[in-house]
Amino acid sequence: MKARDKEEYLSEYEILKKKGKSFFPYAIVKDSVMFVLVAAVLILMSIVMGAEQGPKADPTTTTYVPRPEWYFFFLFELLKVIKPPALVPLATIGIPTICMILLILLPFYDRNPERIPWKRPVASISGILVIVAMGYLTYMGASAGSPNEIELETAPEFEQGKQVVAQAGCLACHNIGENGAEGGLGPNLTEIGAMLPREAIKRSVAIGPGIMPSYRGLGEKKLNEVADYLASLD
Amino acid sequence: MALKIPIPGRKKETAPEPGDGAANGNGASPNGTNGDGPTRAEKVAKVKEATVHHGTAAAKNTTDWLDERVNGTGIYTAMLSRKVPKGTNWFYTLGSSVMFIFSMQAITGVFLAMYYTPSATEAYSSISHITNEVFLGEFVRGLHKWGASLMIILIFLHMARTFFFGAYKYPRELNWVIGVVLIVLTMVMGLTGYLLPFDQRSFWATIVANNITASGPVLGPYLADFLRAGPDFSATTLSRFYALHMLVVPGLIGGLIAAHLFLVVKLGTTAPPWIKAPRPKGSRPSELVPAGVPMVDATEMSLNGHSGNGHVEVSENGASLPTAETDGAAEGPPSEGEAS
Repeated sequence: MKARDKEEYLSEYEILKKKGKSFFPYAIVKDSVMFVLVAAVLILMSIVMGAEQGPKADPTTTTYVPRPEWYFFFLFELLKVIKPPALVPLATIGIPTICMILLILLPFYDRNPERIPWKRPVASISGILVIVAMGYLTYMGASAGSPNEIELETAPEFEQGKQVVAQAGCLACHNIGENGAEGGLGPNLTEIGAMLPREAIKRSVAIGPGIMPSYRGLGEKKLNEVADYLASLD
Repeated sequence: MALKIPIPGRKKETAPEPGDGAANGNGASPNGTNGDGPTRAEKVAKVKEATVHHGTAAAKNTTDWLDERVNGTGIYTAMLSRKVPKGTNWFYTLGSSVMFIFSMQAITGVFLAMYYTPSATEAYSSISHITNEVFLGEFVRGLHKWGASLMIILIFLHMARTFFFGAYKYPRELNWVIGVVLIVLTMVMGLTGYLLPFDQRSFWATIVANNITASGPVLGPYLADFLRAGPDFSATTLSRFYALHMLVVPGLIGGLIAAHLFLVVKLGTTAPPWIKAPRPKGSRPSELVPAGVPMVDATEMSLNGHSGNGHVEVSENGASLPTAETDGAAEGPPSEGEAS
């Protein structure tokens, strides 16, 4: 910004300020209305959605698939979009760091004195693109659903087994219905009951063929529930 | 002098009071904002009159005593009776809303801290206790939990407004930088606070966040070790996150909000960029107003506490004029200021 632009801005601003209103009470009134609105929304959210508590932290479960708070979804999704392991550090630290530096230094490289959004299209379009990208990634993260949830309908007698399957983290590698790992490591289990008999399923879960880990640790009762549930999928 | 509450009209600046340090709170005023209207003697008389009419003698003495020492009137004038430019609209309430919700977080956070135990063995049960047994416990926890989300939303809206209005440009670059740091710190609050309920979700999300930190270049592994308080997640990790969440980061945020606000008051809030001041044709204000004058002028006035009478002011059309005329010219018919 040239010295002349600066002076022009300052003198123009001074006029607008002179023609403006006093902060108290005129701006304060608007602010207060907004405070009341924000407080009302917050109270409503707290009453309607409450603050539920999940199961207690258990460092020994190695299968829990973590999900961050929604405002970190865009970062989290960035991780998923960039697949090759060599590029993962770039996604996790590189891109956010670069974006942060670009954001902090914005006033120092955008030296265009123009302020009207439609008269500085490059800045405005970049801003809109960033918002769209972040919104899209956040939406992707939100619609992925909980990684420990199976939405496929089940008969009530298999509900117990479904719970075990969900919590054991099978979906980290397998798909069941709409849920589970996209292009996961293991075969799709949505119709596994039509392909394998119950006993074969139970044996596979207990032994863990190939790269699959053994789930014998679940215990006989849970293994049976899992087998019952999976065999019912057809 | 007593705390005379001026409800400043549209026409005149609040008269600065004699001996009043920061009477002119408009730091960015290039032309000086005072100086028109009554003479200094008249103003003094007016203030005295106002003082007599307000409150009892005791109240007057107390406010005088305080004012002499903390200059409350000066702060009041600078903070509250400063002007916001023409065209200020609802978009300009987003910043103060963020501050409002930050104070809500601080208050609900204090109440939660009264019942919370930051230890790996007891954290979960203390949260259960708050949620299920403490009076209004779940409500306050809900306020704090959802307040975080709302704060993030509002802070991003505030940033979007600043971006699209070009409000980060000269002379407010520094305030943009402070604002970005505040956003990062707010996200750090979200991250450190997420662990504290110590359920599965928070535990594993924190493990992942730490692993992500550790994969960072150069400092990454050290930072991750610092956060975890060692090479592995341990009982100390929770108390470390707790200390960061309720002492370190809020302190930084509070300090930076103060700096942010100081600059807002000093530089003034922007007008929407499409609002233009009327300008007589052929004028070139920039050729006549030397750069740097605004700041010097304002500082000088607030240091000396003089009213600005006798300054030769520069009007918006560039001519040097006695200030009374300047103000009259600037006032203009209201419609002139609208963008076409």
